[in-house]
Amino acid sequence: MDENTLSVIKLKNILLVTVPDEPGDDIIHELQTKVLNAIEKYQSKGLILDISNVNILDSFFARTISETTQMVALMGGQTVIAGMQPCVAITATELGLHLGKAISTLDVDRALDIFSDNFKLV
Amino acid sequence: MTNESGENPIQTEGDIVTCRKLIRNVTSAAGFGMTDVTRIVTAVSELARNVYVHSGSEGVMRWQILDKPGQIGIQLEFEDFGVGIPDINQAVEAGFTTAGSMGMGLSGVKRLMDSMTIKSDVDMGTTVSITKWGRAK
Amino acid sequence: MKSMEHSHSKYLSNFDNWAEQKRFVDFTDKDVEFLKKLHPFAVEYADTFVEKLYSHLMTFSETKRFLGDEKTLMRLKLAQKSYFIDLTSGEYGKEYFNSRIKVGIVHQRIGLSPRIYMSTYCYYMQLIIPHIYGNPAFDADTAKGIFSALYKIINLDQELAISAYIHATDEVISRQTEEILEMSTPVIQIWEGVVAAPIIGMLDSSRTQQFMERLLETIVTTNSPVALIDITGVPQIDTATAQHLIDTINAVKLLGSQVIITGVRPVIAQTLVHLGIDLSGIVTRPTMASGLKVALDKLSIKVIDSSKE
Repeated sequence: MDENTLSVIKLKNILLVTVPDEPGDDIIHELQTKVLNAIEKYQSKGLILDISNVNILDSFFARTISETTQMVALMGGQTVIAGMQPCVAITATELGLHLGKAISTLDVDRALDIFSDNFKLV
Repeated sequence: MTNESGENPIQTEGDIVTCRKLIRNVTSAAGFGMTDVTRIVTAVSELARNVYVHSGSEGVMRWQILDKPGQIGIQLEFEDFGVGIPDINQAVEAGFTTAGSMGMGLSGVKRLMDSMTIKSDVDMGTTVSITKWGRAK
Repeated sequence: MKSMEHSHSKYLSNFDNWAEQKRFVDFTDKDVEFLKKLHPFAVEYADTFVEKLYSHLMTFSETKRFLGDEKTLMRLKLAQKSYFIDLTSGEYGKEYFNSRIKVGIVHQRIGLSPRIYMSTYCYYMQLIIPHIYGNPAFDADTAKGIFSALYKIINLDQELAISAYIHATDEVISRQTEEILEMSTPVIQIWEGVVAAPIIGMLDSSRTQQFMERLLETIVTTNSPVALIDITGVPQIDTATAQHLIDTINAVKLLGSQVIITGVRPVIAQTLVHLGIDLSGIVTRPTMASGLKVALDKLSIKVIDSSKE
């Protein structure tokens, strides 16, 4: 995967971003800006961050996710984190990280379910 | 295999990723399990970023693979030449932050590792050493 | 094979301690000299001794089964011969040390009990003693010196081999303990979208880490939004165990799955409240069955009793 670009894909009224496996600080900065601009442009109702490739989540990245979630919420959207790897989840818990108001799902399919009309949030 | 060691400068933001990749390769090759590799690489990310933020252009990471029967280990040292930490005890308490992270910096890293020691002289810089042991495969 | 190298290297690094052991049994240069005096006879009669020993061993079913076919037997006899010869060679350095350690490890691996090993020495003593006492080459004092030296080196040999044997056994035990640990916290898919993990016994730090890894892996591979952790088999809960449990629950949540704690017995409920451990935000149920009901509900799955239709 090319680590120097990050594409924000618009799927109907949702945005999908696939984060590369070892995201550097520049990518993470870019993520926030690109996402917020896209939300404004498309009036999206939600953001899915597919992090199934990501094999490291440090406090800087976690803080950016948490902040972005807040910002997206201010613009009327819900953020869903999809596909976190077990080893990443364990490390994040031990490190004491939290992702703010972001919802987690096992994969992108389940994230899409959340945005479907007749979905019951469990 | 044993007594492998090396170092990597921490001078630019990009060096944080370089250090992470280097240590991911080193620990995977040494035989650490997936979760331990992730713990170690995450600790590297936290500490390398601390060095970058605090010392600007002169930091360094040193690593060494350790070996004892039935176990594998790694020791890492992060040195900066920044302002130093006036109160080390306060710095390792959960919630303490200087660089605008989540305040999980040093206390969180300590939880991921088996041991952590900090040496710091005000105006001279700080060295953080961490060690992690894993079961040999 | 790997573990053998490990035991080996561990003993190699303890070679220094062996000098201490020699001092313990008062094995000195004088003893070395005495053993060297016996050496020519040990060499001369080595073949005879080996033949006698092996025909003796052949009369026991326990040892006979280790001796195998003609080729193996030949190899074993040759090894035994050099083993006997080395005993009086006068060279008791690293190479000697290693050969004795190896015997213990190999015996443990093939399941030959230390009893046989010890008895073999006893048999050897009976064979060699007539060549010490009653040997015209040695006067009474020399014979006494040789006997004492031989006794010491055999004791040193035995200590090395038995220690290595015990160490090899310890390794097997610790490997098995780990396996049992893994088996004692199974993680199983009990419904599409539901995994269950009954915990038996106390959760300590290393056990929790293992458990957490397996639980999370299973949740991901089975794509399960609900995980039941059953603590019926946890005898008592302390702050550390509760913290481990909370860590696990948080990690599961990050994956996008939800934990339901089941099997909360009265005594556990009392302890949790008394310790001030806050599990509000987490769904808890007294039994696995009631937990499963909650899980199926969450997944909008209805189970219908067809007999009542």
